[in-house]
Amino acid sequence: MDTLRREIHSLNKAPKLRSTVQDVDKIIEELEAARAQVAATLDTHTASLTMAKLQNPLNRHFEVMTQDLKNVSKVHKNLGKTLDKAMPVKPLPTDHDVMAEHMDLINRAIAMHLLREGEFSVAETFQNETQDDVTLADVTATQPSTGPDGTEDQIMSEPDGGGPDLMEMSYQSEPVAKRQQSQASHIPPPELKDRFADMYRILESIRHHDLGPAIEWAREHSEELEARGSNFEFDLTKLQYVWLFRGPEVNGLPSDRPNGRLGAYLYGKENFPRFQARHLHEIQQLASAMVFAPNLPDSPYSSLFAVDQSFSEIAASFTREFCSLLGLSAESPLYIATTAGALALPRAIKYASAALAKGTAWTTTDELAFETPLPSNMIYHSIFVCPVSKEQTNEANPPVMIPCGHVLGRETLKKLCKGNRFKCPYCPQDGLFKDARRIVL
Amino acid sequence: MGDYEASKINHDNHLLLDQPLLRLPYELLRKNFRSAHFVIEKDSTQVKATLKEAATASLSGKSSPDDVLKNLDVMLNKMRGLKRKLSACADEEERLYRQLDARTAHLAELNDIHTVDDVRYQPWSRKRLDRLMVDYMLRHGYSDSAEAMSEQKGMQDLVDIETFKSMNRIRKALENGSVAEALAWCQENKKELRKMDSDLEFNLRYQQFIELIRTQDTPRKLEAIAHAKKYLLPYRDTHPDEVSTICGLLAYPPIYNFDSGTGRPNPSKAGIFPLQLGPNYDNNGSLYPLLTVCPPRYTNIYSQTRWQELADSFVAAHNELLSLPSSPLLHIALNAGLSALKTPACHSNVQHSTAAGYNTGNKNTTVCPICSMELNELAKAVPYAHHSKSHVEHDLYVLPNDRVYGKARLLEYAKKNGLPDSLVKDLVTGDVFPWDELKKVFIT
Ligand SMILES: [Zn+2]
Ligand SMILES: [Zn+2]
Repeated sequence: MDTLRREIHSLNKAPKLRSTVQDVDKIIEELEAARAQVAATLDTHTASLTMAKLQNPLNRHFEVMTQDLKNVSKVHKNLGKTLDKAMPVKPLPTDHDVMAEHMDLINRAIAMHLLREGEFSVAETFQNETQDDVTLADVTATQPSTGPDGTEDQIMSEPDGGGPDLMEMSYQSEPVAKRQQSQASHIPPPELKDRFADMYRILESIRHHDLGPAIEWAREHSEELEARGSNFEFDLTKLQYVWLFRGPEVNGLPSDRPNGRLGAYLYGKENFPRFQARHLHEIQQLASAMVFAPNLPDSPYSSLFAVDQSFSEIAASFTREFCSLLGLSAESPLYIATTAGALALPRAIKYASAALAKGTAWTTTDELAFETPLPSNMIYHSIFVCPVSKEQTNEANPPVMIPCGHVLGRETLKKLCKGNRFKCPYCPQDGLFKDARRIVL
Repeated sequence: MGDYEASKINHDNHLLLDQPLLRLPYELLRKNFRSAHFVIEKDSTQVKATLKEAATASLSGKSSPDDVLKNLDVMLNKMRGLKRKLSACADEEERLYRQLDARTAHLAELNDIHTVDDVRYQPWSRKRLDRLMVDYMLRHGYSDSAEAMSEQKGMQDLVDIETFKSMNRIRKALENGSVAEALAWCQENKKELRKMDSDLEFNLRYQQFIELIRTQDTPRKLEAIAHAKKYLLPYRDTHPDEVSTICGLLAYPPIYNFDSGTGRPNPSKAGIFPLQLGPNYDNNGSLYPLLTVCPPRYTNIYSQTRWQELADSFVAAHNELLSLPSSPLLHIALNAGLSALKTPACHSNVQHSTAAGYNTGNKNTTVCPICSMELNELAKAVPYAHHSKSHVEHDLYVLPNDRVYGKARLLEYAKKNGLPDSLVKDLVTGDVFPWDELKKVFIT
């Protein structure tokens, strides 16, 4: 890549097509001069003399032009060679493009990504354009293959930890017609835009060190947050307390309301009691810190009162909590999926070409036939591979725990059974098949 | 479990999706050079010939000074025309060099990023996603979105708006039943298409023929015969099947809308009664009472879906010519990425928790991207990832409801919920159990 970069960088000094334009200019100059001469005298002799004299320089210019063109061609050829070396062509797997059948779902994922990134105007343009497309496809209907409309309401339901808000978000609880239903799957829930607009408004305030809107939001969703076991509301209250404590010279808040130590004291007195059951210890620490107020940096509580990182941390956890309550992952799924795709692609290509050679397809089974290792922060669920069969457990072959506490795939356990009894392959205990528990990891 | 290997960026393999980013401007550079070369050849040959003729005529006294002036004007016009065309090529070359420069700079940013955990990787990968989205939009003809997006992100040099816009113009023309634009494109790329063994031009010409016949208008039918002689017969050897249908097509007019399944006329759509009567033979020599049953090969020929097929085959030829993959890059990335991320839990009826990364300090357990609303339905189309080893939390305990969690997480959650030390709370269902009803789980 470095060689390529250097070569491309030096292209501005290399021969370019612009040189042939200059050659043409010279020819035009010669022609114009000759024309002027002939026109000035309109004399037959001058005319033929001029024309005779024009031959050589013109032909020379044409030769130069051909040479210039050759030089340009050489530059392009070398560039091609360097490119081939820096980035040898590796065909991408396009034989089984299963995504092509799900344009509507991809469009929806893109629209939702744009909304969560706060690209509201691009999102709107995109939604208009894709909707026109759908309407068009439905009207012409010359192609039976356009758009399967078996998309069910299910899309709206969230299999993992979805909050109650999700039901509100599907705006058509009773689709009038199938057509409308299929169209609904092309667009993100209409309320999503407003939700993300809220999110960006609150994030903007946090960026300006104004926690007010975030605190208001957290109070509104207090119960849901608590149900998630989230400390977000307390963290916010704590940061607000610390922020007030640091006083006007740090927080720059107007002095028309209590600020500084007094402000913090009053704020804490009003707000901490709600959290006493769960965070008594921390609240006590914050209160005791009052004593050290003049030389807080040297006190054991200094770390509690450092705010430099706190605002960006609270912004990150706000985004996470906000998305989670919508049943959405905190980081854009489209971003994670394409990044994972770039990481998994080399393996996929390697396997796809091997499968192609053997004449087998690789996308028809439930489970990929090859491993695509991802960084651990891209592993979201527990994975259990049966230590005996080496098969990954799933709905059909779930993990079961036998009385000794060891876990196997259920298929393995069935095979181990002699009648109703089995012997654990890892410890000397045995047990009855009916005592094995299906567990959820 | 901290899979360091998996976080490493392998620079030889990390830019597979980015190949077209450099290939396309390079192919366009060559295409641009070819057209420059072509106009120079054509115009300079003409000017040289004119010059020679004019000089000879003038020298031999056959032409007046006025004739000489006229000839000079012809040459000047040619050269000024050439200058205009070459300037356009030179501009295009500059634009492509600028693009290549911006694109290699973007790719080179990755050079000293060695792991995906590097803070600089995320912005880079986000930019890549932006590019993939614009590519997707362009390929599907959503050019307003593509333009809005690339302007918003200031990435005009990293995307190929013009190339795809002109592709979509031709594609749409075909979808609306017009071949002229595609034929002009074939003309421009004649040599390359021939090298590729492309059928496109033949198929376009064949469609023109079908459309002439479809009218069932006598002068048009005569035109069709002339058209077939000129444009189709030369392909006799490479396309014997289609060429052999030419006579048949003249015999099976699309007066009835033939049912493509049975080959029988669809009475509900019957038009004018056929003019010709009498038996007819198909190519196998079997007898078909004319217009009672139409051989399927002919009903297909009159089908309107052929226009879509033509549009698709134009797009395929276009992409092949410019070394572009046949599918949008986003499809390729999603296909691989969704599979790699998907687990059996993502479409399970049982609610699973998200916590596998918990031990590695990834305490910000969030909704899994495949479980998230955006991708859940789409991910049904791909298989789940293959794993050869388990990824679970340390120190697992099973609750009386058969749900399993790591001890550290249970403790933390109980504390967050203000429970006494003797109780735990299920992270998914919210059920509360006494600690002593839990059982240790051993994962081997
Ligand atoms: Zn055991
Ligand atoms: Zn999942």
